[in-house]
Amino acid sequence: MTIAVVEPWVEAPLRHFVQDAQVTLALLLTPSGQVLGQHGFTRAVDVMAACALAAAIHASSSELGKMLEGKPFAGLHHAGATRQIFLAPAETRRGTLLCLTVFDDATSIGIVQLYFDELRGRLEAGAPGARTPPTGVLADTFEQDLNRNLTLLFRR
Amino acid sequence: MTSVFLEMLDGFTRQRGVQGGLVVSERDGIVVDAHVQLGVRASVVAALAASIYRKARLSAEAAGLGGVAYVELAAVQGRLCMAGRGDLVVVLVTDGRSSVGLLRTALLRALDNLP
Repeated sequence: MTIAVVEPWVEAPLRHFVQDAQVTLALLLTPSGQVLGQHGFTRAVDVMAACALAAAIHASSSELGKMLEGKPFAGLHHAGATRQIFLAPAETRRGTLLCLTVFDDATSIGIVQLYFDELRGRLEAGAPGARTPPTGVLADTFEQDLNRNLTLLFRR
Repeated sequence: MTSVFLEMLDGFTRQRGVQGGLVVSERDGIVVDAHVQLGVRASVVAALAASIYRKARLSAEAAGLGGVAYVELAAVQGRLCMAGRGDLVVVLVTDGRSSVGLLRTALLRALDNLP
C-alpha cells in the first residue's frame, strides 16, 4: 500500500483509514484544494483535478447545507454502479481538512463512515499547532504551494 | 414514525437477553431500522455486522455451499445472530442469557416478512 504525504502527521491516520476501510483511493486536502496526502493515485494531474473538484463540491454542498439547515452538511456520499465516493470534513487545530475517498464493493459506506470517524479523531489528536490563515480567499503562495505539494507526493 | 420492521424488531427485543435488533442493508452497511438498548451503538454494529455477513455469504458461495442461511458470532459476553434475504440482514445483539435456539428459529421465520 502506497501512502504519500506532504506533512508527516497525516501519514499514520491516513494509513490506518485506508487499511481499515479498504478504500481504493483516498485524498486529504485543505478546503482550498491543497493536497496533504494521498493513496491510490499514480499521476499528479489526477490528484490536482480531484482536489480541485473535491474543494468545489465541498464549497457548494456546504453552502447548500447552510441554506437548508443553517450549517454545512456533515458529509457527502455518491453511489455509482460499481464505485462510490465519500467526501467529508474533519476539524483539526490546523483548520478544516477534507477527505475524499473512493471505494468499491470490497467495503461499504457504513464501514467507510465508521473508519472516517476514527480518522477524524486521529487527525484531531495528531495535528500540530495552527498556521496563520491566509488573509484572502487563497494564499498568495497558493500555486507555488500546490506545485510543491504535488512534487513532494510524486517525487518528480 | 413507524416502519414495516417495527413489529418484528419489537418481538425480538422482548425476548430474554436480546439487547437490540437491527435491519441492515448488506451492501451499504447502514441501519434501515433498529430497536436497541441504550449503549448499543447501532451504526457501528450495523456496519461491521453487515461486513461479516457479506463475507460469510461470499465464502459460502465460493466454497460451493450455496447461500448463507444463518450466521452466528459467539463473543465472550454474548452473540451476534444474523440472517438475511436480498440486501437486508436482520442482526440481533444478545447477551449470555439468551436462548440461541429460539432466537435462531424466530430469526429464520422473520425472514419471510422481509420485503
